[in-house]
Order: sequence, then structure tokens, then C-alpha cells
Amino acid sequence: MPKLIIDDIPVEVAEGTTVLEAAQSVDIPIPHFCWHPALGKAGACRVCAVKMLEGPVKGIQMSCMLPVQEGMVVSTTDPEAVAMRRAVIEWLMINHPHDCPVCDEGGECQLQDFTIAGGHGIRRYSGKKRTHVNQYLGPYIEHEMNRCIQCYRCVRFYQEYAGGTDFGVMGSAGRVYFGRFQEGQLESPFSGNLVDICPTGVFTDKTARFRARYWDYDMAPSVCPHCSLGCNTTPVARYRELLKTVARRNEAVNDWFICDRGRFSNSVVNDPLRPRRAVVDSRETGVAEALEALQLRIRDIEEQYGPGSIAVVGSSRMAQEAAELLPQLAHRIGAGALCFSTTRKEQVETLALLELLSAGRSASQQDVRNSDCIVIYGCDPLNEAPMMAMAARQAWRAGAKVYLIGQGISLPCEVTECTALEDVPLAEAERPIIICNVSVRVELLDKLQESHSHLKIAGLFPAANSFGAAQVMRETGAISLEEALADGEIKGIIAIEADIPAALLDGIPFVAALDWLAAAAVQAAQIVIPTTAWVEMDGSYINYEGRAQQFSKVMNPGVPIKGLDPNGHPPHSHRTVAPGGEALPAWQLLATLIKLLDDDSRGLS
Amino acid sequence: MKILSDIAALLTGMWITWKHMFRRPVTIQYPEEKRQPYPRYRARIVLTRDPDGGERCVACQLCSAACPVDCISMQPTEDTDGRRSAEWFRINFARCIFCGLCAEACPTLAIQMTPDFEICTRDIMDLVYEKEDLLIDGCGKSSHYNFYRHAGIGVTQPRGNGAEELPPVDVRGLLP
Ligand code: SF4
Ligand code: SF4
Ligand code: SF4
Ligand code: SF4
Repeated sequence: MPKLIIDDIPVEVAEGTTVLEAAQSVDIPIPHFCWHPALGKAGACRVCAVKMLEGPVKGIQMSCMLPVQEGMVVSTTDPEAVAMRRAVIEWLMINHPHDCPVCDEGGECQLQDFTIAGGHGIRRYSGKKRTHVNQYLGPYIEHEMNRCIQCYRCVRFYQEYAGGTDFGVMGSAGRVYFGRFQEGQLESPFSGNLVDICPTGVFTDKTARFRARYWDYDMAPSVCPHCSLGCNTTPVARYRELLKTVARRNEAVNDWFICDRGRFSNSVVNDPLRPRRAVVDSRETGVAEALEALQLRIRDIEEQYGPGSIAVVGSSRMAQEAAELLPQLAHRIGAGALCFSTTRKEQVETLALLELLSAGRSASQQDVRNSDCIVIYGCDPLNEAPMMAMAARQAWRAGAKVYLIGQGISLPCEVTECTALEDVPLAEAERPIIICNVSVRVELLDKLQESHSHLKIAGLFPAANSFGAAQVMRETGAISLEEALADGEIKGIIAIEADIPAALLDGIPFVAALDWLAAAAVQAAQIVIPTTAWVEMDGSYINYEGRAQQFSKVMNPGVPIKGLDPNGHPPHSHRTVAPGGEALPAWQLLATLIKLLDDDSRGLS
Repeated sequence: MKILSDIAALLTGMWITWKHMFRRPVTIQYPEEKRQPYPRYRARIVLTRDPDGGERCVACQLCSAACPVDCISMQPTEDTDGRRSAEWFRINFARCIFCGLCAEACPTLAIQMTPDFEICTRDIMDLVYEKEDLLIDGCGKSSHYNFYRHAGIGVTQPRGNGAEELPPVDVRGLLP
């Protein structure tokens, strides 16, 4: 471990670390554009200059390109280094347009920050600026090439990190251009990361174009609900509208990036069709009244049809807090069935995969990135859990072999196609991982694990909290809704954030739905109570590997201000609760309902 | 001698008081009598237009960020010609302290202070001004600046035709 001194602070870091990283490790920031922890160095922007005072190299050096060596003495504040950085930033800004007020990057722009930090405040160059024509890159990403500072981050991410082929760099000298050969939608399912990775406003999120500024954002650490990987995100909201989602770093999970599904699926939260008010028999009412009505109706149904005539139905998209309360509710009601899945097949498969993974063998995305032998076994990561394909690509880039067993599956890396698991040289690998989904033949993997003790498994589940819901299923002996309805005893369904096919609800005399999506059960229900979406509450999901991850409340529930008032501006009246703001987290509604039922059975109400 | 200097101080104060008793008073009998404040007086805020008649405000949200009492709010939007503008823009004059920081922050010279200080009303809600109440028809204090002539996004002129711009480069050109 080489030792060096940076700005009089002694630092000891691992071999191969760059001076820039070593400085960062002791909280000395050095301005940089082209260097990025996930992409490594390029030496393209020349802005991270430091002065080497003693040691094997001397003079002004690029700190991102220089690996640390024993005995280095580095100064980031040396007048020569400061002057160099200021000059480089001034060059970078020569062609930069006068755009900040109309640029969506403004306020969260690395170029703004480092320009000011580098000491270049006033423009001296009065010549003409080079300009570019922009491209249409699809409905998600806005292109504004004039703002480019040629750091090459975008193309390094798109081609090297993500394996995209339809975006690159063209031209030469002062004309280099980052775009597609021809206009058109970016093809990579990870294209949205260009927005995060570009240190300037060349790529901005078109879905949130001209909507808000960084200092006004409602933000909180959150978890992506759009597949079972649970990538870490920071959703961004303003005026009760979910505007965009950006990646949040978690080394063990998604590292720096997220997929486009996770980034651009924000409109469900702002959907005007979302249930916003409690409804009892087609009449809008308050949440408290609706809960009381539900409690009375539960008693009615039981009196009318006998005990055990109600099914409590949850799902694998509900937060774990609510999933844990469902068995209690079922117990209080004396429900005939507790369900988390619709079909028996789904139930059996999920539980089987859970058994397989519970043995402490599940692989995190980090494990996949560090693996040396990956088997994609009968699943399609790019569609089921895109970041898993990205993780496999990183392993492949580091030299791992990727084997594919399955038909018609494409991956962003080179694969060796096999027909059976026996063809894969698992025994020779040090850190082998099998990526599969719930349709896998579990006995096969179980057997394989006995003979290969170092084998890890990444089992992709269908939804964000499938793992957590499956645990509750296993502990409480929950059955599938299909089975519960088979003998016709069930006369009432309480659906909590459950996606029940409309056909199964036919002929059920009583349906109550607690949901934030306009699911089929909400359409069919006599009692509807709105719940909050994940960004409107605190909660947790348990991801495919059994990792419980908390997410925090980003925004208050309620109808977005946009479009609320016909005059085009927000209303001029005062109220304590926003329109449609009565929604509560499902767990809170369940806890209240359980208490109402308890009080009732003890004769308190 | 402390006592002497104290007496001197008393007499000086007295002298100033007496002097002013024989001067013309500065007090005026407002509202019967009015006085025109200087043009740079900081009172009711307006949103101005550029010399070509377009709305100057690009809804960049710098004024609302600069405002120490948070009385400005707005929603940016994109017009069909690509112009960024305010969908709605609200200043709550009941809260505004007329410090002028918004006008100082504005990069497009859109928001300006005027000398019109007489905006009291009986209903406090009348002091919530919307964009239609704020927007005036002229350029205000700067008659020539048009931000979009200098910005690179090409709204008032095709890209590469702005004041300090070269024509767009041909990325497929082979010349060095
Ligand atoms: S990229 Fe940054 S510096 Fe450039 S116009 Fe946008 S906000 Fe301003
Ligand atoms: S487009 Fe952005 S990421 Fe790409 S080179 Fe230019 S500034 Fe860097
Ligand atoms: S891979 Fe899954 S969890 Fe990760 S961002 Fe994409 S959809 Fe969300
Ligand atoms: S600072 Fe100026 S341009 Fe920006 S929002 Fe305020 S008035 Fe509009």
C-alpha cells in the first residue's frame, strides 16, 4: 500500500488507485469531468491538474491519470495547478452557449459547479462560438449538443459500459459530435443513464423537460418498484407530480446506474385515473367512514354467508409492512383464505424459488459483476430485470465467461450457447453464478448446489416485493386466489394492492379494494379506499436476493397542481389537505381496520 | 475636564435642533400631496417584454430561489416554438419585502422593480398577483436586451445564427 501526502495530509491507499481518488478519500475535491468511478479515466478534459512537489514524477500532472506511488507529495492548491485548472475551464467554456436559464441541468450541473470552483467567473473570450444541430433521440432524452465539453463520458458509458451500438462520437478536432449516425430513438435499454452521466446539459430528461429546478425538488432515497432487483433510486417530485427518477449509488446493488424502465415509468403515479377518494357504494366519502363501512360490511357478509366467507388478497407489489399485517387482518376477520398470488402455478413456483434461495446462497448484483462464470438459465434478464443483464456485462468485460441456456434471448455481451447445465464447466470457475427465474426446475439447481458448494444463484422474481410476500406466504400457509375460489365458499374479497383478473371477481357479491392503481378490483369494488404509491410513503421491499431495503417518502399524496385549476395557475383558496390527499399507506389502513375489528369484537364500538 | 466636554456635546445637540426648527419641513401631507419616487425606487414588481414583444421571463426560477421570503412561485413550460416560459407565475405581494434580490438575480432582465408603491387593498388575497397581473407591454428599464438572441437554443433565430455564433458544423466534413 503506497503512502503519499496530499495537501499536507498523509494518505495510504491501495495499489493502482489514482491520485484523484486518493484525494477524494480524504475529502479533498479535485474538479474533474471525464473521470467517473464507473467509467475510469480518459484524460480528456485536463481539468484535474495538481502539482507534484516530491516523488517519482514532478510538476503539473493530471491526477486522474496518475496511479499513486510511494513518496509522492501532491499539492492541489499550488498556484501553478490552480492557474492551470482555471485556464482549462476557461477553454472548455469558450464555445459554451449562454444557456443556463433555459437549461434543465442548471442547478445540478457539474460544469456550473466546477467552472465557479475553478475560478472562471467572467467571460473574456469575445469571438464566435461553434454550434451544432441537435438530434431527435426518442421520447425520453433531449439532445442539446452546443453544451458539450468533449469529456467522452456518454460514449464510454453507452458503448463500453452498457454495450450499446447505435450511439457514438463523430467528427474531428473542434467538431466532435456525440450522437447517433442518424436521428432516431436510442436503442439501449439503459440510455437514460446518459442524463446522469453527462456532466453538462447535453442530455436531459425529456419527460421532465422544463418542469422544475434542483433546489425546488422533493427528493428522498427510494427503491425502484418495477422489478425484483430493487435498484436504488432518487425519485424527484414537484407540486405533487412525480417528475423524474435518477439513479442512486449502491455498490452492492445497482452500483451507479438504473435501467430505462426504472427511470421512465413515472407517469403511473400522476395518472388521473388513480383512485384518490374513498368510495362506498358509488358515493365518495372520507377514509375513516369508508373503513368503518368496511368493518360493518365484513360483519354483514359473515352473518349472511357464515364464517370463512371472506378472502383477504394481497400481492407481491405491496410494501413489506402491509404484507406482514395481512395475516393479522385475516385472523381477525376469520377469513376463509389469505392469498398473495392469483394462480396456483405462480404460488408453487415462487415458494420453490424462495426455498432454494433461503439457503444463504443468493447472489447480489455485485456478486454477479464480480463473477467469473455466469449461466443465464432459461430467463431473459434484459426484459425481466434489465440491470441484471448489465451486471452480467460488467462481469464479461472483466473476463468472465457467460453461458446461455435458452432460446431467443439477447444479452449485451458475448455468450456461449449451451443446451444443458452439464455443458457448463462450473467446477472450474471460482465464483460461478446461475441467473434464473421462477420457472426454473428447482430440484435441478438444488442438486447442483450440493456438488458445487461455491455456486450462487440469482433468482429473478416477478415483482418488487415477491421475496417478502413469499416469506409471509410460507409462514402463514397462504393459498392462491384460484384455489380459494374453487369451492365457491368465498363471497367477499378484500383486495389490498392486488392485481386480480376481472374474471375471478365475477359473481363475488362483495369486493373491497385498497389500492393506488386503478386495478380491476378497484373497478369492481363496492368499497374503495385509496392507498399511497411507494413514493408517497415510507416502507420497504425485499428484493430478489432477500435484501430488505427501505424507501422514504418523496412527496405528499394528492392530485398534481398541474391542471387543477381551469385558470392555469394554482387555486387561490386555502385548504389543509390537498385534493386527493387523503390516501394513506396500506399498512396504516390495515392497522386501523384491525383495531376497528378488535374494538368491535370486544364490544367497544 | 469631562464636565466641559459634556456641556459642549449638549449644546451641539441643542444647536442642531434649533437649526432645524427654522428650516422648511420635509414632511408632506400624503395622500393629499404626492411625491414621485426615483425611477430606481423598489416597489411593485413587473414582468417585462423583450424589444421584439416576446415575454422575457424564461421561468428559470432564479428569482424564486433568490427571494428571501419565498413569495415568488412559478411553473415553467415549453412553448411550441421551443421557448421556455412561465405557465403560471405568481408573486404574493402580501409577503414581498421589496428587497429587489429577484430583479438582481434575473438573467434575462425580465423581472423589474417599479416606483409604484400604492398597492394596499382591504382583501389580502388581492395581493396575490398572477402572471397576467404582472406582465407589462414594454421593456421596462432596459430597452434593448433579448436573451434569446444570445442563447444557443435557437428560438428567435435558427441555430448557429445568434449574436456570437458560427454556423452549425458539418460533422461529416472531411476537412481538418
Ligand atoms: S450545461 Fe450547465 S453550464 Fe451549460 S448551460 Fe446547462 S446548466 Fe449552464
Ligand atoms: S455529450 Fe456530455 S458526456 Fe458526452 S462528451 Fe459531451 S459533455 Fe461529455
Ligand atoms: S432493473 Fe429492475 S429494479 Fe433496477 S431499475 Fe430496472 S426495473 Fe428498476
Ligand atoms: S429570474 Fe427572471 S427569467 Fe428567471 S424566472 Fe425570474 S423573472 Fe423569469
